Order: sequence, then C-alpha cells, then structure tokens
Amino acid sequence: MAEEGAAAPGGATEKVIHTYPLIRHSDMSEEMRVEAMELSVTACEKFSQNNELAARMVKESMDKKFGPAFHVVVGESYGFEITYECTTICYMYFGGNQAICIWKCS
Amino acid sequence: MPPKKLPSLHGVKMPTIWPTKSSEKSIGLLLKKLKQKEATKSRANLAEDEGLDWLKPRALIKPDDQEEVSEADLEEEVGRVLCTVNPQWVPDEVAYHYGRAMFVAKPKPTYGKAYPLYIYQGTAIRKDSDEAKAQIAAGYGMVGFDDAGPKRAKVKKSAADEEEEEEPEAEPAAAAEEAKPEEDAVVEEEKPTEVEVPAEPTEVGVEGDETVAAEGGEEAEPEQKEEPVDDGSDEVLDIKPRVKKLANQFNFCERAALTYNFPRRSVDTQTVPPPRANYGATALQCIIFDFYQEDYAKKLKEKEEEKPKRLRKKAAKHAKSAQQIHDEQLAQRIREAWAILERLVNQNIYDDIAQDYRYWDDPSDEFREGMGSLLPLWKFQFDPMRTHAVCDIQWNPHYQDLFAVAYGSLDFTNQQKEGCLCMYSIKNPAYPEYAVITESPIICLDVYHEIPYLVCVGRYDGNVCVYNAQLTLESSYQYKSDSVKDKHSNIVWEVRWGARLIDGEASFFSISGDGRVVQWAVMPGELQATTIITLSSNVPPIPGPDGTMITINSCGSCICFHPEKADIFLVGTEDGMVHTCSLKYNKNYVRSVQGHHMPVYRIHYNHYNNSIYASCSGDWRVKIWEDGRDEPLFMFELGSPVGDVKWAPYSSTVFAACTADGKVYVYDLNVNKYRPICIQAVVSKKTKKLTRLDFNTRLPVIVCGDTKGTCHVLKLSPNLRVMCKPPKKAQGVDQRTLQIMKLDKLLSLVRDPPFTPGVVDEKFEED
Repeated sequence: MAEEGAAAPGGATEKVIHTYPLIRHSDMSEEMRVEAMELSVTACEKFSQNNELAARMVKESMDKKFGPAFHVVVGESYGFEITYECTTICYMYFGGNQAICIWKCS
Repeated sequence: MPPKKLPSLHGVKMPTIWPTKSSEKSIGLLLKKLKQKEATKSRANLAEDEGLDWLKPRALIKPDDQEEVSEADLEEEVGRVLCTVNPQWVPDEVAYHYGRAMFVAKPKPTYGKAYPLYIYQGTAIRKDSDEAKAQIAAGYGMVGFDDAGPKRAKVKKSAADEEEEEEPEAEPAAAAEEAKPEEDAVVEEEKPTEVEVPAEPTEVGVEGDETVAAEGGEEAEPEQKEEPVDDGSDEVLDIKPRVKKLANQFNFCERAALTYNFPRRSVDTQTVPPPRANYGATALQCIIFDFYQEDYAKKLKEKEEEKPKRLRKKAAKHAKSAQQIHDEQLAQRIREAWAILERLVNQNIYDDIAQDYRYWDDPSDEFREGMGSLLPLWKFQFDPMRTHAVCDIQWNPHYQDLFAVAYGSLDFTNQQKEGCLCMYSIKNPAYPEYAVITESPIICLDVYHEIPYLVCVGRYDGNVCVYNAQLTLESSYQYKSDSVKDKHSNIVWEVRWGARLIDGEASFFSISGDGRVVQWAVMPGELQATTIITLSSNVPPIPGPDGTMITINSCGSCICFHPEKADIFLVGTEDGMVHTCSLKYNKNYVRSVQGHHMPVYRIHYNHYNNSIYASCSGDWRVKIWEDGRDEPLFMFELGSPVGDVKWAPYSSTVFAACTADGKVYVYDLNVNKYRPICIQAVVSKKTKKLTRLDFNTRLPVIVCGDTKGTCHVLKLSPNLRVMCKPPKKAQGVDQRTLQIMKLDKLLSLVRDPPFTPGVVDEKFEED
C-alpha cells in the first residue's frame, strides 16, 4: 500500500482505470500465454458479473486447445498454493480488479 | 530253470503254472536263430575282423551241466496237459489260527465254485455280435491285421517259448491282458488256466476266515497281475499293434492338436512424469492495484523512450554525471566567451569592411544614369572546403546575417568524396558558425522558413537529409532518407520545403536526375517518401540490352513552387523543358514549354507577381516568362552558362544572375529592358566560376558562391535598389502595391498580344 500512497499524490494516477490484462506470473510458451490471455479477456468481458461462468469458459476452452486438466480461478481476492505442470501456469490480472489463475495439473 | 518264487502269504504256496513243451521248443528255436546270426556275421566279416578276434570271442559259453538235447528231441512236439487236480495241494497242510490260538487243518479248496470278489463289466463285445459286425464292416479292427498279424504271431510265439522257461504263468496272463481278437484260438485254449487263476485265491480265502480270504485274494491278485503286465509290456513295446481298435463307448481316442503356447512376458516402461512446480500467491485488490500502477508507470516510461532510436541513443550518450554536466556548462560558457572574443577580433580586423557595408554607397551612381555597381565585402571560406564548389547558397529567412552554404562539387569527372553544410554569419567571416562534414557532396539545400535551424539538403548520392543546426555537431543529421529503400537514384538537384501535411508534419520536395519529384514527410525518426511525379520525356522508349523497352525519364534539374498555389510547381529539366506540374497529377504536366536548349539551372518566381518567373540555363540565357505564354517576355544572353537567377526581394523588376565566367549581372527591367544595369566581375574567370547567388531579404547585399568554395558578399549600389516613388496622385500607397503597379505597367508594354490569363490561373482559379 505504500506504493499506492506514493502514487496517489503523484497526480491523476488515481483516476486511471486499467482495462488491459497484465501478466503477473507465467511460464507458458508465448503462443499459449497469448491464447490464455485472450481467452481470459473474452471470458471476463462476457461474464463480467459471473466469475464462475468466466472460469468455466476459460477452462473449457483451454482444455480443448491444450489438452485436459486445466484449472482456472477467477476472483477478486483469494490466495492459493498450487502444484502445476511446468510451463502451464499463468497468473494474471485483468480489468484492474480481477485476478485470474490458469494452470494445468492432471 | 526253476520257476520264479512269488512272495507267499502266511507261508501258503502260491499256485504256479507249469510250462508246456511247446514253449520250451520255441526258446530253443530262438537260441538257434541267434547262433546262426552270429555265425553269418563272423563269416561275412572274417577277413576284416580277424585282427579283432581277441576282442570278441565268438565261442558261446554253455554251462557245463547243460543237457545235451538232440535235434530230434528239440523238434518233438510236447503237448501240455492240464488237469483239474492241483498237484501242488498238500492235504494235511495246517495253518496257525491266531483267533483260536491253535493249528487248524486247511480246508480243501473247493473246485468249481467261484467267489466273485470284484465284478467289473467288460468292455469287449463279441466279434460275431451285430454291433461288432457293423464295426468291422466300417473298417474297425481289421485294418492292421494283415501287416501286423503275422509278425506279431511270430514274435508272440518266441516270447511264449521264453516264458515257458522263465515264467510259466506269464503268457496266459499276458494273453488275457492283451485280449487280441485275432488270436481267438490261443485265447480259447488258455481260457481254462485263466479260470484257474481266480480260482486259487478263493482256495486260500476259503481255508481261513472270510475276511482273511478276502484279504488274501485281494492282495494276491494284483501281485499276480503285476508280473504278467511287466513282461507283457516288454513285448508290447516291441510290436506296436497298429490295429484300429473297435469303437465303442469306452474305447475311443480323441484327436486334437494344440498350438504351441508362447510364454507370456510382461514388458512395461514408465515415462518420467512431467515436471511439476509449486506456485502460490495472494490476489487482493491492493496487490492488483499496486501491480497495475507499477506497470502503468513502466509503460509511460517506455512510451517516452519510444522516441527515435538515434535520439534515444544520443540521450543515453548525453546521460552524464553531474560533474560532466557542470564541465559542459562551463565549456559552453567558455565557448560563448570565445565566440564574443572572436567576433571582437573579427570586428577589428574587418572594421573597414563593416564600415563600407554600413555606410559606403558608391558616389559614382549619381553620375551614371541608371547604372550601378556591386561592392565586394567579405569573403567566406572554410578551409577543408577550399577545393569544393559552392553548390547552393541561401540566406536564412529569420536571421538576416546568416546564410547557409552547401559545399559539393560540380566537376563530375573528379567528384569529391565528401561535402559540407556550413552556416556563416557576416559578423564572423573567419569561420562558419555551423559546419558539418557529410559523407557525400551536398548539391542543394533549403532552410525551413518556419523553423530556421532546420535545413534540408540534397546530396550527390541521391539521399536527402534534414539537419538541425541546434544539435551538436556529433549528431550530424537529424533525419536521413533510407539509402536502401527510397533514396533517389541520381543526384538530388534541388530541395524545397513545402507546406505542412494534414497531420502537421513538415514536408519537403526534392527533384533528382532520376526524373522523380519526391515529397518527404518528416515523421518522428524517419523520412517518409512519396513520389509526386515521374518526369516522362517525349523520347520514345529505347530497346534495352535484353530486348525490353526502356522508357527514358527526363532528368529534373530544378524545381520551384508557386508562391501562392501550394500544389503548383515548375520543374526544369536537363533537356531544357520547363514543366508546370501539380501535386494532383502524378503523370501529366499541366503545361510544358521548351524553355531552353540546355539544362535549366534555376526557375524563380517574382516576389510581386505570381505569374512572372525567371529561368536560367546552361544555354547562356536568362528568360522571363509569364504563365500561359509559350514565348518568354524577355530574353537575355549573358555569354556564358548562367548558374543562377534570382528576383530581388525589394523590387519587382530587379533580378540578378551569375555566370560561369565569374560575373554577376543585375537587371532592372524598369530601367533598361535590354541591358543589365550592372555587370560585376566577382572572380577571375580563368580559375573560378560563379555558381549560385542569393539576395538577402532585408539587407542590400547579395551573396554568391564560386567553384573554389568561396562565398562573396556584395553590396548593391544605390542605383540597383531604387525604390518606387509614389506618384503625387496616390500618396500613401505602400511600396508593394507600387512595385506591382510598376511591373504591370512594364508588362503591358511588353506583351504583344492582348493579355490572356495563364493556364494555371484558368485551371485552378476555382480551387
């Protein structure tokens, strides 16, 4: 929160609303990451009021494209500790208030 | 040979069957045969085996007590007599009875009475029964008879002989066991003995208790059976009966084949499981917010860095420590101090020139009617450029004392390797204020009137660049055309800044020997080229080396924009044509005039009348044209190639031209329509040529350059810059109107046919 405090007096930063997806942590391949990102954006925009449906949509699409056993978490505040198959995790933020975690573990 | 003793039970003698003569005889035959075989063998192999005699003695060893039996006796048939009375029976035989603890006389065996101990229904069927007949008819039981039968019979016979000696009771048992259907006679013959065998145990059983008898019978019988089986099996091994057995419900054999079963093995491997890792994080609004802020700041920073790479690099280069900045600032101040000092020194050195420039007006002008002169003032030289020609020269539109010089070379057989862009101030004739050496000679330049420190240049190698005089020299140029993609393929002969584009970018035009007019948009970090027009010539296409027709472009040599109509421009070509073009047409000319017979070096619009322009050419002529007129209004022959012609900014009728023989001609059409009012030799015509000249926009000086890199600044004498005196009727009319009136008056005198508006005016009036 220190950063926020520092940023706030900085000027108009408070008013900026971020709508772009932001990768926080990912070891996916470029192609997969872009796909995951686009899917998340699509899903979150489509089901902006229903995180469950958004997560389901991302999961099912990812399963179709990259093989089964993907797991998706969409939410605004949660904590997690997961085991994932290497090169299949993507933890990102979207829309300034949502955190999406996609990983695969079968 | 004594009969083999059988184990007895309770000392009871087991019944034996006595051998008959026939069996004895068969043994004898066998022996004889053996002997014969031996003999033939020895006789046949006598020769070879003689040496081995000692190894195998041939003599048959006979026991000493062997009875000599004559051949006749041996041949004699001995009948076998069977009697019903057991000769072995002892009438007074007693046996100890454990139950009574006393000896009791054994009871006499009962004959003819059999006690069945075990009843087993036989599987044999009678040969003459219907069933058997049916089977025989079907082929069972008969097949092997012919080949197996005789042989078997023979062996059987000999085997029987043997048995007679060794084991009298074996043969009947074996015979019974085998139950050969073909040897009916034998079976029938021996049946009595067979009957006898089961009878004897009963004898034993009857003597004692019933249980004992049962035990004895039970135990004796299998033993009895055992032996014949053993002996019989030996024989059976010898002669395998290949008789198809009669089929009945018990006698069948199943035929089946089973494939080989391969042993099973289990082979498995296990892949290495995909690598896994753990990750954990917490998503909270504050964390997300912070991360977005961070990223946003980074993006802003990146955006700033997105500025041209060269600039960024420069910025990086200039990113210096505080000490360095301080040093630089200090150096800058020192430099400024030095510049002032230099100017002071120069002012002292060139004091007389400065005085002349300021105050000296040629007094002789008063006496020379209309004629004037040029006073040479300063000479500007840049040492590294002594061998270069001044290819273009232009006063700065903003700073009246500053002019830019393009150093290149016009000697195309001995082209210089490099060029130079210099800016001189007349306050400091000793050294240029700005000088940058370029890798290719500079042929032309134009100073941007909106931003006077931006100079675009055209180079000998076809590139165009934009120089920013404010940048330090190490940066050299700010923009440069892409040498690979879109530079000109010939010398760039003239560049001119144009109007700003719709998006606000500055743009300039270049004309080159490759026949293209290109517009360059000054985008951030790059120049974007657009070909405006390709100058087609009226020369028909010529066949190329590989049969293709090559269209010839005419080489553009100069360009001049209409002062008011931004899309109209004049193009002079090396074949002397003057084309009026429009930015709107990229193929066709609005108008085309054969203006000269040699390359057109310069076209310049009059400052006061937009339909009047002057052109000069290598064909020694300067022509004054009016738009829409095919013939020039004025034509002057200067006796030498004319490098440049410029209208004076202060008068509508004055223009100056410089020639290759080193002279500057100044004309005032208002004073003299046929002769120049001033001819001034500026340089020696043997060694130098004048190339370009330019009027200062505010000061009464002109500057001209020569082929040895020297720029001469000349002062116009009063007669050359006569201003209009307003007529008494119209006092207060400004100078510009007067100048226009002056020119119009002049033109009305010159125009032979009545005035018709120019083509350009006609066509674009409505625009």
